[in-house]
Amino acid sequence: MTDATDRPELLSRREMIEATAAALAAPLLPAQAVTAPAAVALPGKFLTAAELALLDALTDLIIPTDDHSPGARAALVSGYIDGRLAESLDPELQARWRSGLEAVDGLSQELNGKPFMQAAPDPRVAVLTRMAAGEAGIQVDQEYKGNVYQRGEYAGYDAK
Amino acid sequence: MTLLRVPPPLEQDVDLSKTYDAVIVGSGAAGGMAAHVLTSRGLQVLMLEAGKKLPIEQELRSMQWPYDHPRRGDAPPGYHSLSFNEYNIRTPPYAKGSTFKHVMSYVGGWGGSDYVKNILVDEKDHPYTGTKYAWVRARALGGKTNIWGRLALRLSDYDFKAKTHDGYGDDWPISYADLQPYYDKVDLYLGISGVKENLPHLPDSLFQRPNKLTLGEVRMRESLKNMGRVLTPYRAGVTTDGLKHNRYRSKCYGRGACDRRPGGCDIHAAFDSPTGLIYPAMDTGHLTIRTNSIAHEVLVDRNTGKARGIAFIDSATHKSYEAKAKVVILAASTLESARLLLLSRSPQHPNGIGNSSGHVGHNFCEHVMGPGVTGLVKDLVGKPPTLDDGRPGGFYIPRFRNLQDRQPGFVRGYGFEGSGGFSIFPGNAMGTPGFGAQFKKEVRDHAGAFIGMGGFGEVLARYENYVDLDPDAKDAWGIPTLRFHYQFGDNERKMCEDMVVAGREMFEAAGIEVVGTDDKMLTEGWSIHELGTARMGSDPKTSVLNQFQQSHDVKNLFVVDGSSHVSASCQNPTWTIMALAWRSCEYLADGFRKGTL
Repeated sequence: MTDATDRPELLSRREMIEATAAALAAPLLPAQAVTAPAAVALPGKFLTAAELALLDALTDLIIPTDDHSPGARAALVSGYIDGRLAESLDPELQARWRSGLEAVDGLSQELNGKPFMQAAPDPRVAVLTRMAAGEAGIQVDQEYKGNVYQRGEYAGYDAK
Repeated sequence: MTLLRVPPPLEQDVDLSKTYDAVIVGSGAAGGMAAHVLTSRGLQVLMLEAGKKLPIEQELRSMQWPYDHPRRGDAPPGYHSLSFNEYNIRTPPYAKGSTFKHVMSYVGGWGGSDYVKNILVDEKDHPYTGTKYAWVRARALGGKTNIWGRLALRLSDYDFKAKTHDGYGDDWPISYADLQPYYDKVDLYLGISGVKENLPHLPDSLFQRPNKLTLGEVRMRESLKNMGRVLTPYRAGVTTDGLKHNRYRSKCYGRGACDRRPGGCDIHAAFDSPTGLIYPAMDTGHLTIRTNSIAHEVLVDRNTGKARGIAFIDSATHKSYEAKAKVVILAASTLESARLLLLSRSPQHPNGIGNSSGHVGHNFCEHVMGPGVTGLVKDLVGKPPTLDDGRPGGFYIPRFRNLQDRQPGFVRGYGFEGSGGFSIFPGNAMGTPGFGAQFKKEVRDHAGAFIGMGGFGEVLARYENYVDLDPDAKDAWGIPTLRFHYQFGDNERKMCEDMVVAGREMFEAAGIEVVGTDDKMLTEGWSIHELGTARMGSDPKTSVLNQFQQSHDVKNLFVVDGSSHVSASCQNPTWTIMALAWRSCEYLADGFRKGTL
């Protein structure tokens, strides 16, 4: 066995990413990357085509291709997540991803009046900004009532 | 650059009809060292290992890029690594009722569970009971040296004569002067990297080329000098200059990603027992190895009461066998050796062989860990990336408590292990808020600017901390399991509180911004430094072994692993385990030739 620097199959992978970076850096500025049609139109191994496209768009918003390096789409992150979900033996985990993606569309509907993938770049960023603030999970999904100064009576039942 | 790999030597056929000079149970640091010393003295040795013989390079894959692994290093579905919460909320046996097909100790959860799934035991087959304990076991040729953390430290007379120093516990029956020549031998035979510091409480080794420090680490080192404390490059059991006498091991090439996954070095620059000790011992022609051999009893000669061999079960076929030998050496690990002694009941040894004192399983000690500090070296933010993890470890801050001073809250001390700089994955990505190009820049700019360290403290040896055999529970081979009666005490808690305070103070003094502290004590067992269940001593009434790790009760029975340690000290034990085993096996070989065993 040899050191990794002798192994072309490893180097080519790295070179490929570098090459992708060079090719993508100029035409794909972050804003344009969002408007570009989703790279994935086929169903995944676990996710539907629509879910996979949404996931792909999200990952590339979180880690976009920029002038420094390629982003999540170039690194095929959505396909990797889909693959892990497909082989998972944990139905709860699978369901959580599915309902999470659904919640993203729900949030986009609430904020922008249309599903995430039909929204323009800026409204998409607004969805992600809300998600990053943690509100989607805590307030929207869980409808958590706490962590604010309570007005009126304290929630609960009086002991009898 | 092409690294030549020398295949393992051909194995000798196992002949169970023959009486070997010595049988060794276990093939880790202690068993490997016993095999090395005894075969070099010409004894015919049989080594029994409970686990498999693994094609270890295929397991470790040290240079595999994360993206070339289908799960980025994770084990396939169906594997589960125990978490801190599981260890603490549940009680052993932890795998009982688990829906996962395979359950591993927390070590799998370090990241890279796929690389250790065949090295660690499946908790489903290896249950234990009693108090909570994160018991990490590796059943494979080489044992836990396959996942070893590499910090290789000496003990000093602050440890060997700890009772004389502070009045607690017991002194060891040896002093540093007795062990020093054997530490030297271990250094030269296996290779160790580090820097001389001339500290009375952490004696220097015979070092090969040290690893460099990163900027934050250098700043800490300079600042600590004002406090009379020392930060020294990680003293690693790694050969940085190479070893002419060992053809199975390469020198360290500083490849990086050393810390990426649990232990393991596929070019064996880091010490592991198979390439460091066992293969060279096989080359003498005097070592025979039988893997898949689960020892469950030290056999006793009914007339003399002496040990005559080992009863074992083949892990694959479940068939029972006996191995005969003139001397029996246990090196199965602190807890497994104690279990084996307790399992070996006979009319001559009703409480288990070598246990006339009743101390087998007792005085169980280890290191407490968990508390630590993370800091940010501000002027490193935004600096270009450098290769900072092309080294087996970062730094070590030796004990500074209760040497000249006397702490009000606790006796003994602790050291810090830590490192700073870039690594293969920017850990700060997980905690950095936001998304998009700004997020990427934020992560990138800060990736190399963090420095962190965690304490390792001495857990006091106490008679009331012990293991015994569970009267009901059995493992997958029908062998009674261990039951834990073990917990940290007030001294450990006070010491851990001090770790956080002192750690923060040292960072701040060096101008490093503290961005996080951890004051949580990890579960008992987490350090994988269990020690002291068959301690040495000069009084057979209060100890199990003499200063040569020889049973007080049975002259041809030796226990050469960490179970012999009288106290845990706060230094990592592997180098001491090997130095002691070397010393004891020289004594054993002398006695064998003279016929005094």
